[in-house]
Amino acid sequence: MKSSPDNPQPGRRSRFAAFVPRSIVARTSLSILLLAVVMGLMFSAIESWRIRVAEHDRLLARVHELVGTVESTVSIACFLNDATLAKEIAGGLLKNRIVAGVRITAGATTLFASERVSPVAGRRGAFDTVGTPVYSPFDPKSEVGRITLYVSHAEIEAQAAAYARYSVGILSLQMAIVAAAVAFLVYLLVTRPIKGISDELHLLEIRSGMRLTLPSGRRKDEIGQLVGDVNALMARLTDALDSERELRQAQEISERRMRLVVDKADTGILVLDALGTVQSCNPAFMRILGAAARPGALLSNLLAPHGPAVAALIAESYASGEPRDKDLELAASDGRGTIWVELSVNPLGGELLQALVNDITERKHAESAAQELASHDTLTGLLNRRGFDSALAKFLAPSRREIRAALLLIDLDRFKAVNDAYGHEAGDRVLREVARVFERTVRRSDPVGRLGGDEFGILLHGVDNAEKAQEIASTIIAGISQPIDIGAGLKSHIGASIGIAFAGPGTESPAGLLRRADGAMYAAKQAGRGHACVAAPPSSHLSADREDESESNAA
Amino acid sequence: MKQTLITIALCLLALGVADASEPATIVVIVNPASGIDKLSRDEVIDIFLGRYRKLPSGRTALPIDMANPNADRARFYQLLVNKNPTEISSYWARLVFSGKTSPPFQVPDAETAVELVQSNPNAIAYVDRAALNPGVKVVLEIKP
Repeated sequence: MKSSPDNPQPGRRSRFAAFVPRSIVARTSLSILLLAVVMGLMFSAIESWRIRVAEHDRLLARVHELVGTVESTVSIACFLNDATLAKEIAGGLLKNRIVAGVRITAGATTLFASERVSPVAGRRGAFDTVGTPVYSPFDPKSEVGRITLYVSHAEIEAQAAAYARYSVGILSLQMAIVAAAVAFLVYLLVTRPIKGISDELHLLEIRSGMRLTLPSGRRKDEIGQLVGDVNALMARLTDALDSERELRQAQEISERRMRLVVDKADTGILVLDALGTVQSCNPAFMRILGAAARPGALLSNLLAPHGPAVAALIAESYASGEPRDKDLELAASDGRGTIWVELSVNPLGGELLQALVNDITERKHAESAAQELASHDTLTGLLNRRGFDSALAKFLAPSRREIRAALLLIDLDRFKAVNDAYGHEAGDRVLREVARVFERTVRRSDPVGRLGGDEFGILLHGVDNAEKAQEIASTIIAGISQPIDIGAGLKSHIGASIGIAFAGPGTESPAGLLRRADGAMYAAKQAGRGHACVAAPPSSHLSADREDESESNAA
Repeated sequence: MKQTLITIALCLLALGVADASEPATIVVIVNPASGIDKLSRDEVIDIFLGRYRKLPSGRTALPIDMANPNADRARFYQLLVNKNPTEISSYWARLVFSGKTSPPFQVPDAETAVELVQSNPNAIAYVDRAALNPGVKVVLEIKP
């Protein structure tokens, strides 16, 4: 118990606490004894006062009795004016300690007046006087004198006080004995068993089968009830603990199994909060999205180029409470190529969502391969007729605002000869090389298609003047005109004729545009091959188109 | 109780001796030369019970009592102060040691009392009226 000047408060408290015993036994006993002392003091005070009053009255009554006992003798003394007799009576009376003085008078004569009284008789407050008239022994009606007893206040007080002290002493002794007995009984019947139970309970370990011992003979009272209830409670507790442990084990097993499933799954499984922060995830998730994919990361950052879309997806799913999914193309975490993932978000309830990330790259590739197969030429990798037509139709869709492009229609010169002379394989080589030329020359975004055996189409987006178109066409012709290695040390020499048609604003159909380009190409061939000719713009809009169409149909 | 019975018995005896028809009257007598004609009841009490030993005339009084047991004596004290002879004896017994006064002089019978009164002018006695003698003077009749 140290008390420092810095914190006197705890110091003082602990010093005070040092006087309060911790044990229930000591505390109860001390309380009972303290109570006994307090009540004893209170009762003593009351009793002392009461006894003093009663004793005072009793002593005065005794003085009256004293007078009564000597009455007949006094009456004789007074009757006979007998001072000797009076003195004798007075002597007897004065043997009582409370009688401080006696005065006996017969008529005017004083038969006796004690010396002890006379000097202080004047001080009225110091004495009580008990006076009574004395009658003749032979005539009760004739007064012959008077006897007066002086009673010392101090003596009365002293005697009363002594008696009160004695009584209070006895009372206190009784009180002390009773208090001690009560304290002992309380200790025996209540506090000791409770202390025993408390100590036992304190040392008890939580395990099944634990029991408090019942104090003997207490089976039916509150102590027994307490012990019984505590035992029942503990039995229930240990049962609950056991079943909880079993439950926990079962749960652990199931969780482990579940975790194994989750850990071994190929699907990335993760839990997100409402803001899209990863709370937990499985190894597959990290495998798919790389090392940055770990708890604490924002999913929208992990799926970087699609951040806003992913955030919107999560928000939507969270708000609606319904699952949402989306396919996303990402740069592969190892930096090689792209991967496709399918992200699906399911609200889990509360603030959490579950997200599944599937690597669907292979599927996507298969899909796109199928798509490619449908729309591309397998030999050259360029769009096939169908693919090119659809690209053209998409570009010329009436909904588009601005249509500015040049359609180049290319026909190879002398290809048939190569094919015939060196075989299909050589022809195929030529065609592939031609495709490379196109790819080198035009932008990737510009669709290039193989429309027939040796006929190609290119749509140059944004090219609307003849000079530019001619320039590109010239580059192409020049590229194609280069000798082409066809194997076995042979080279072919082919050329190209190009027809150019501009797609302007209007509602010209793809067929119309192609026809015009075809016309221009034909014109270029006519002009002597290796040329590019620009087709005239459509004569008029709808009508001309119609006419053209009807014309071609007729043809 | 016993004493009361004895007293009653003695009274009956006295009545038997005296006139049977009339209750006996006690009279207080003095010597004719004493100089007094009458005494009050209180004066007789004072003299016989020792308060004063003087006659109203100034002469010292010599009360003469009967010795126990005596029917007149019992009757006298009974009628005078309503006390029986035992009480009177007890009264005197208390005064034995004070020395200031003494019980009256006692004579064995009424004749001796009367003789003493006849011969002594200070003497004062009580007797049954029947025992009266012309040589003495009645100063008080004590009737029941």
